[in-house]
Amino acid sequence: MFNAIVSANTLQATLDSVGVLVDECKIHMEEDGLEIRAVDPANVGMVDLSLSAEAFESYEADGGLIGVNLVRLQDIAGMADSDQLVHLELDEETRKLHISIDGLEYTLALIDPESIREEPDLPDLDLPANIVIEGRDIDRAVTAADMVSDHIELGVDDAEEVFYVKAEGDTDDVHLELDTDDLIDLVVGAASSLFSLDYLKDMNKAIPADAEVRMELGEEFPVKMHFDIADGEGAVTFMLAPRIQSN
Amino acid sequence: MGNADLRQLAALEEVSFDDVAGSVVAVDAHNWLYRYLTTTVKWTSDEVYTTADGTEVANLVGVVQGLPKFFENDLTPVFVFDGAVTELKDDEVQSRREQREKYEAQLEEAREEGDSVAVARLDSRTQRLTDTIVETTRELLGLLDVPVVDAPAEGEAQAAVMARRGQVDYAGTEDYDALLFGAPLTLRQLTSKGDPELMDLDATLDDHGLTWEQFVDVAILCGTDFNEGISGVGPKTAVSLVSEHGDLWSVFEAEGYTVENADRIRQLFLDPAVVDEPEFDTSLTPDVDAAREYVTEQWEVDESEVARGFERIEDSLVQTGLDDWA
Repeated sequence: MFNAIVSANTLQATLDSVGVLVDECKIHMEEDGLEIRAVDPANVGMVDLSLSAEAFESYEADGGLIGVNLVRLQDIAGMADSDQLVHLELDEETRKLHISIDGLEYTLALIDPESIREEPDLPDLDLPANIVIEGRDIDRAVTAADMVSDHIELGVDDAEEVFYVKAEGDTDDVHLELDTDDLIDLVVGAASSLFSLDYLKDMNKAIPADAEVRMELGEEFPVKMHFDIADGEGAVTFMLAPRIQSN
Repeated sequence: MGNADLRQLAALEEVSFDDVAGSVVAVDAHNWLYRYLTTTVKWTSDEVYTTADGTEVANLVGVVQGLPKFFENDLTPVFVFDGAVTELKDDEVQSRREQREKYEAQLEEAREEGDSVAVARLDSRTQRLTDTIVETTRELLGLLDVPVVDAPAEGEAQAAVMARRGQVDYAGTEDYDALLFGAPLTLRQLTSKGDPELMDLDATLDDHGLTWEQFVDVAILCGTDFNEGISGVGPKTAVSLVSEHGDLWSVFEAEGYTVENADRIRQLFLDPAVVDEPEFDTSLTPDVDAAREYVTEQWEVDESEVARGFERIEDSLVQTGLDDWA
């Protein structure tokens, strides 16, 4: 059983966070909220999302699992104005999701969850550096780096107590340093890792400009980025595997 | 259909490596290796790649020179090796053998005459993929952690089907036959300097208003690796015949043509023998030191010949997978 009403805003933010990595996903409809975990086909980027029942206008569920085509669902959710309400109801018999937005009725055929790529285990990593940064600063760094390169280096200089971003192109370079005054918080530790901008750009699209993003970094380790959606009633974690020198 | 015929019909477009960065390419290993083998043999003195006991391993030089192109451009190759030779292809194998024997005779002659340009050219044409070449290539790829898939029959067919089923992003071969095997997108010129050429099946079919099956029928009329074409029928004629009559059988009926085993040849392209779900891991952790030792010590290849290639491999970046950290 699943019957819920949610603001289009919240629904869109939820779907976008997952949709930047995968086209299909499994949604667990637990009693206390929705859970989604997905990894992209190349196993490089992962998203772990939870949206508590409090994020909904009304919410009823009893632990079911559905598979959805995110692209379709995002299109439908995009039909609503951000302040409109979206009503979602699962028809167990036909395995379809009924979606209504201000009189517009849409019936979405679901996907067999078995046919969707298995959900990844969340690697248990103890990363030395913690950076709390505004979403808009991530956007600034990613946008600038993308002008010169395909990769971006994220790191922390423990001596100078700064978080830095570097991108080196064939001819031009980009460098950005943020110190403790620019950041919301910084726990220094040895950290410098290189990431594919293709992935980081996609993740960046889902991070609100005004979000507080807690970034965990290590030395040639995956990065984790945690931020809230739905006024703190939803939590998203992105994890991205680094690129490393092959020797 | 000869390569020239297919090239006339194929929808081709130069793309930049940036456009295809991050993709996985199923590479027709024999096709790829052959290109590097012939260039290596053509441009390098054979002492460089011949061991004390006389075994030639020019392939090792070729692999070390060829792989950086993938790594530096953020492409992950999956090398697909041929299995057994398809029975129908016996003629083709036979004619290649005859051709090679002819070149070998010419090579002997050129050597006697001291014509070094002709020797270099013919030497490259008489290269064959010996068991040693295939085995050492696979061992070297193994040390560099480059994934390998074994096709039950044609490597090219397997690579094309992997692309068709979305198991990889592109097939990689110079051979235009990839279209006939149904590869939606094929990257060519992965072995040459400059940008790759993208061959697009849907665009090809759209250009001529054909279905994939009809396109295969066109090829059979012009001649494929598995059959002689109908004399006097070129690609354009073949396209109009198939468009007019619908399929191969109706063309045969209307024009009085016959091609032996036509139905089997059709099946070879449309439904070739392949491994359905090949297993391969696209996150690479190459052991460059072990690979270097394998090439220069075990197989006695001149260090200076492969130093640059190994450096380029070392300097290139590899995308790790999250499963490497679990």
